[in-house]
Amino acid sequence: MDLQAILQLVINGVLGGAVYSLAALGLALIFGVSGVLNLAHGEFLMLGGFFAFLGYDRLGINPFVLVFIVPPVFFVLGYAFERVMIRPLALRKEHVRLASATLVTLGAALIFEDVAAFASLGTEFDKSIGYFIGSLTVGTLVLPSLKLIMFGLVVLLMAQLAWFLKYTYVGLAVQAVTQSRRGAQLSGVNVAAINGIAFGLGTFLAAAAGALEVIHSSVNPLVGLPLTLKYLCIIVMGGLGSFAGVTLGGMIIGLSESIVGYFTPAWGQTVAYLLLVGILLIRPKGLLGR
Amino acid sequence: MRRHPPTLRALLLPGAVVLGVLALPWLPADSRIYYMQELTMGFLYAGLAQSYDLVGGLLGYINLGHIVFFGLGAYTTGILFNLGVPLIGGLAASILVAGAFAALISIPFFRLRGAYFSLATFALVKLMEHVTDNLRDLTGGSSGLKILAGNRVLPMYYVTLALLAAAMATSWAVGRSRLGLGMKSIREDEGVARDFGVPTTRIKAQALVISTVLPAALGGLFTWYINFINPGEVFGLKLALQPVAMAMLGGSGLVIGPLIGTAFLYGLEELIWTRFEFLQGAMLGLVVVLVGLFMPGGIARLKGVERALERLGLKEDDS
Repeated sequence: MDLQAILQLVINGVLGGAVYSLAALGLALIFGVSGVLNLAHGEFLMLGGFFAFLGYDRLGINPFVLVFIVPPVFFVLGYAFERVMIRPLALRKEHVRLASATLVTLGAALIFEDVAAFASLGTEFDKSIGYFIGSLTVGTLVLPSLKLIMFGLVVLLMAQLAWFLKYTYVGLAVQAVTQSRRGAQLSGVNVAAINGIAFGLGTFLAAAAGALEVIHSSVNPLVGLPLTLKYLCIIVMGGLGSFAGVTLGGMIIGLSESIVGYFTPAWGQTVAYLLLVGILLIRPKGLLGR
Repeated sequence: MRRHPPTLRALLLPGAVVLGVLALPWLPADSRIYYMQELTMGFLYAGLAQSYDLVGGLLGYINLGHIVFFGLGAYTTGILFNLGVPLIGGLAASILVAGAFAALISIPFFRLRGAYFSLATFALVKLMEHVTDNLRDLTGGSSGLKILAGNRVLPMYYVTLALLAAAMATSWAVGRSRLGLGMKSIREDEGVARDFGVPTTRIKAQALVISTVLPAALGGLFTWYINFINPGEVFGLKLALQPVAMAMLGGSGLVIGPLIGTAFLYGLEELIWTRFEFLQGAMLGLVVVLVGLFMPGGIARLKGVERALERLGLKEDDS
């Protein structure tokens, strides 16, 4: 195995992991603030990918520009989703609320999946933007510039998120509610509004990941639930409530899929779940969980 | 609350339903085979929902990986059946395998609380799908596992019905037992329960192991009945979520709840699939959303339904 192959595997793994982390951060944000397992999260990624595809295919907009246009639309969608579907459940008893939220988000996932499948009847099933830019050559190494640009975008989005959480009032309120709902409420944080904003932000991140996903691979109506499951793995592995942990979890999954998949393709997808169970055995609260 | 014995007239309708279900295979109509097959799958779903609810409803841990035990049973029985082991042996082995697996995972998984537990068990479903997919020599991988075919509609009908009845009896008995009391105390507040000396770790493990007996047996029977299984089917995400949704729809924590939920969702599904050409999944999703939004306790806890259940003497103490 030469250097070039190793480099390719690492680049693919890091990029895959970065996109995973981005969407998983959204899910972790939603879970942290509202305590809701949002089973429809992967569907928002799928829809984000669809919108980006349509923007490129019908309107001819540059796919990298779409990564910045599509997510804000989904912020509004996510906010509305919380307002209509999740907020009415807020006053129920803890385990009843968990059950109701599971039903509501599961039902929503089924609706999104089926409507997307219905809307794409008669067109191609897998939506993908066949975008191509020439590779960079550094010395003897060939670097895929498309993937480097995408990686840069993910890092940019994450840096924005980190800045937002650390230096704005709303971001600090999001963190406060994640740490202690009651404590935040007592200090005058409008918890209901923060819930809505967290859903909006989480959905924003899922849509951004979806818009990136259609550039380097593809999105179809059925990817939602399996992806949600993978993000759930990532945030549990990294430790719920720890954003660094989520990023680490995403990277571990991305790299392990890429590297194990190279040697034994069949086990590439399995390793994520094996790792999850293994890590939980040693650290029940995840790698960086408290 | 004082219980009134049901009046004879009130028992007429449910009695007729039970008799009709028992007599169905002997009716002279040609369409009976179709209805038997439909009902067999209905019994199977109801049994899964019922056994899920031992952990989900009484213990308060939403186990999204309940289907793992069904899949384990399906594969254990299938593999043994192909080695010449008779069905009964296969089913016994399935129950043992699933029970042992449950005991094994209960230690790490029940260290997780609330949503963490749901997340990890959900991941377990996908893990099992991939593992069965990859253990090609044992399971036939993604091309599936075939067993010698036979016409098993009639025995399957009665066996699944009997298992469903057994599952409901188990839920009822566990709910009234010391174990059930411990499970409910964990559901309401695990920390307080532990401080008062409830052996929470043991109770959680026991509950999980008991809840695996039925899915393991049903899984084995499923292989025997369908003759062909593959990982994407028996460890599928939709199959994993369906019994959970059914139990919650009907009324989690009540003995009658999962049965009502299954009858409702399964019946509705049949109706939608036969009447509409498109968007069946979306309609089903919409109903699930509406139930989640407007019926927090499920159908069995609606006022009108509660009154009807009371007349039948089926209303339960909801605590």
